[in-house]
Amino acid sequence: MGKMGSEMLIYVLLLMAGVLASGQSSQVKIWPMPASVSYGHTHLYLTNDFGFSSNYGSEILKDAFDRMLALIKLDHVIDANFSAFNSSSLLQGLHIVISSPNGQLQYGVDESYKLIVPSPEKPAYAHLEAKTVYGALQGLQTFSQLCYFSVTSRVLQIDMSPWTIIDQPRFSYRGLLIDTSRHYLPVPVIKKVIDSMSYAKLNVMHWHIVDTQSFPLEIPSYPKLWDGAYSPSERYTVADAADIVSYAQKRGINVLAEIDVPGHALSWGTGYPSLWPSKDCQQPLDVSNEFTFKVIDGILSDFSKIFNFKFVHLGGDEVNTSCWTTTPRIRNWLKKRGMNESQAYQYFVLRAQNIALSHGYEIINWEETFNDFGNKLSRKTVVHNWLGGGVAQRVVASGLRCIVSNQDKWYLDHLDTPWQEFYANEPLTNITNLKQQKLVIGGEVCMWGETVNGSDIEQTIWPRAAAAAERLWTPFDKLAKNPRDVTGRLAHFRCLLNQRGVAAAPVAGLGRAAPEGPGSCYRQ
Amino acid sequence: MLHLSEKPHFIYTCLMLLAWVSQYVSLSAGFELNHSLTYIWPLPHELTSGNETLTVNPTLSLSLIGKGGNFKILREGFRRYKRIIFKQSSGVSIFKNLRRIRSIYDISQMRIIVNSDSDELKLGVDESYTLFITKTGGKSTAWEAIIEVNTVYGALRGLETFSQLCAYDYTTKSVQLSKAPWYIKDKPRFAYRGLLLDTSRHYFPVDVIKSIIDSMSYAKLNVLHWHIIDEQSFPLEIPKYPKLWNGAYTKWERYTVEDASKIVRFAKTRGIHVMAEVDVPGHAKSWGVGYPDLWPSTSCREPLDVTKNFTFDLISGIFSDIRKIFPFELFHLGGDEVNIGCWDNTPHVKQWLKDNNMKPKDAYKYFVLKAQEIAISKNWTPVNWEETFNAFAGSLNPQTVVHNWLGPGVCPKAVAKGFKCIFSNSDVWYLDHLDVPWEQIYNAEPLEGIDNESKQKLVQQTIWPRAAAAAERLWSTKTALSAGNDTVLHRLHYFRCLLQRRGVQAAPVTNYYARQPPVGPDSCYWQ
Repeated sequence: MGKMGSEMLIYVLLLMAGVLASGQSSQVKIWPMPASVSYGHTHLYLTNDFGFSSNYGSEILKDAFDRMLALIKLDHVIDANFSAFNSSSLLQGLHIVISSPNGQLQYGVDESYKLIVPSPEKPAYAHLEAKTVYGALQGLQTFSQLCYFSVTSRVLQIDMSPWTIIDQPRFSYRGLLIDTSRHYLPVPVIKKVIDSMSYAKLNVMHWHIVDTQSFPLEIPSYPKLWDGAYSPSERYTVADAADIVSYAQKRGINVLAEIDVPGHALSWGTGYPSLWPSKDCQQPLDVSNEFTFKVIDGILSDFSKIFNFKFVHLGGDEVNTSCWTTTPRIRNWLKKRGMNESQAYQYFVLRAQNIALSHGYEIINWEETFNDFGNKLSRKTVVHNWLGGGVAQRVVASGLRCIVSNQDKWYLDHLDTPWQEFYANEPLTNITNLKQQKLVIGGEVCMWGETVNGSDIEQTIWPRAAAAAERLWTPFDKLAKNPRDVTGRLAHFRCLLNQRGVAAAPVAGLGRAAPEGPGSCYRQ
Repeated sequence: MLHLSEKPHFIYTCLMLLAWVSQYVSLSAGFELNHSLTYIWPLPHELTSGNETLTVNPTLSLSLIGKGGNFKILREGFRRYKRIIFKQSSGVSIFKNLRRIRSIYDISQMRIIVNSDSDELKLGVDESYTLFITKTGGKSTAWEAIIEVNTVYGALRGLETFSQLCAYDYTTKSVQLSKAPWYIKDKPRFAYRGLLLDTSRHYFPVDVIKSIIDSMSYAKLNVLHWHIIDEQSFPLEIPKYPKLWNGAYTKWERYTVEDASKIVRFAKTRGIHVMAEVDVPGHAKSWGVGYPDLWPSTSCREPLDVTKNFTFDLISGIFSDIRKIFPFELFHLGGDEVNIGCWDNTPHVKQWLKDNNMKPKDAYKYFVLKAQEIAISKNWTPVNWEETFNAFAGSLNPQTVVHNWLGPGVCPKAVAKGFKCIFSNSDVWYLDHLDVPWEQIYNAEPLEGIDNESKQKLVQQTIWPRAAAAAERLWSTKTALSAGNDTVLHRLHYFRCLLQRRGVQAAPVTNYYARQPPVGPDSCYWQ
């Protein structure tokens, strides 16, 4: 049967003592912490016919109602005798009032909401106010975290009522990167990641679709590109991609598509070998060949029909240009134009930017492009930091926008970066000017795919991504100065993820580590 | 974005390079299906196939024939498998008009013929099925799928096989079924094909248990052995003794009676039995959180106090409460790893032993047999871990099923004495032993065992793909089991990718240690 040594038990007890002693300043268990919360000390019970309603008819809301009910119930059987409860403590529903009729999800959409439980006017209902459907979705997420199935009362219960929560995000871009080139991720796996993002109020899924290793996406304009997929079945059709985008939008999540050029693009040449400088020197993409830019144009034209987010990501990182100088044909081309290789790199990136602009996109590029020729970049560029700290400061000083993903703190594939460091990574470090602060549109945690696939992606992302999610959502003044103070609340959120079927790893321990031994979810 | 330069992980970098080299090879080679192999896991008993490739209609219709054609389990099962098979083509297609979508499908209809009008799920229920993929006959060029079975549970196994024949084809954008016509006649080799789940060392949310049950059905496993309680926690509600679940880790990490019933009902719709285990007298320390009288003393808490009537009243109370939840005829009483030191050290127990003229090991036997009697009185067949057999085989109730775990060679002895036996030799079939590679699991033969079982510790990637290796050993006939592991490896890769496509977190096949992440970028079919 398999035994656990007593020293392991002691270890677990110590761990639990550690978590319990970590001084939770508040009993509020919501993650991420809302901007403003007040609460009381009475219990409410959800009736069996508890339902959601709204002044505003919307498919997105209707879908969300069904989802939320399932999330709150979590398959528990509610078998209480409601006549035994005091009727004033029963909650029959939640009513949503939405003031703006615009149902489009776009960058910067108003996500604020106000949640009052119970409503002062109609005490049998909770009241949720939002400008947009997407604010209402965030409010519903918060509401779902107030409810739990109580094994004592046998019903869905809310403690610490009455609640008044007024909330809005600190940053408008709160991202998570997934990488489907290093490993293919089946569509159901991606959808589960999207679901779990919505629980932590993240709102951008950055889809790093293609890289050196494989080209899994169908591009109708250039149908041989996905010959670069790992295998015939490790692919996404256009319909799959559109399905993923619409699935995410229903959850208030934007999908940012990336094609990384001119480096990280070796797999393009499996279908179109003329994109390689030569057979023996296969990346970066051939800068001298007009066909290269025709293909990029075709891809972005197809993208614009699927990915309707305001931004597209053009990569531009880690370009090793030696193939351009060692291939005679390209060397001659450079010479004729009087370009050196770093000028050719700049030429390539700027030309790709222009193509993206012509398809109506604004552009995101990795920081090397800024470091090398920042003043040449389109003013519509958002610079994506990754190499280290201090970059955002320089980017916003130059007037460009920035997304923070410094790899020492926000790379999920760095398994030895603990959640405390994810939590403490402040995007506005050393940026004091208010106008410059606004140019930092947010941050992103990156789940590079070298060692993740459908078997381990969830526990590698969670719970550490949640720590960053609070940094990006919660007002600066309400963030814990010492991450230790939120350990208990984060453990609670991670157990909530487990209950919802997300394989979040224990809070104690490094990224994706399995539990060390037997113990309660809340103490590991 | 890549991080090779920044972090001086030399070994990691080497792995990355290796992975890059292997991926370079795979880019040119690609994963090709080997058409001489059958990508069905576990391998069916008997089959023949042809070489036509058919398209399957996403609106595949079902006609149910026979006495058992009216069961909800079957209609729901068909809908479930349709969702699995046509997952890919259900998306929004804004590009549909750009392509020529083939609108005529070869297979548009499935017929299921069920002979028995009972949907009772008992051990040994007939799980056999015959699956034909054949032309409808006459002048028509249409094909149909026919599943002929005795019970709805056989039909579920047949549907699983059918779903594995279907694959989405990215070139034609349709679901295809290759190598038709098919004739498959299949039945399991063993009636008991189990997986153990331990909810005491860690609580598993109900949803997680359900998804494990779903994944078991993909590998045709049919018994979920639910090790509910152990010394660490007591998560299940027992209405007659409501303080027992005070021994849960927290007030959220519990199962109500309704939760448990729901799990049993859910498993039934997948043709899976749930065998409950209440492990006595050892492994029961958590009981005393609610009822400290069950401990020999507050300083010596295990095994349960053998001297008190209350101990057995409470066991009887637990059994009658959970008998209502678990209809399966087998019930596991544990009985393993009993350290009787506490009985010898506690004065009142010591006195009782003396009064009854017993040594501690006699008291162990007394306890196990008494628990067996209570279980039998509730109309259960007792299952006990092998220590009980090793210590006092002659006194065990003859109905007892002996559950092997310590090592090889136990089942032959048990069977020789007329007992039934479940094989779980911990050398090879303990999934929490992460260093046991899938080949060893696959090659372990239950010998003369009657039934069998394997065990798990953590989550999906600890279970899969290794449990699939045991599943084929338990389902397929000895001669049908592929002789060379090379072709098995190829098929197992395919099955683990199928699990991932269905959202099951199956770990890479080729890592030495189980549940390890992939070592570097590559195709699912190579790792």
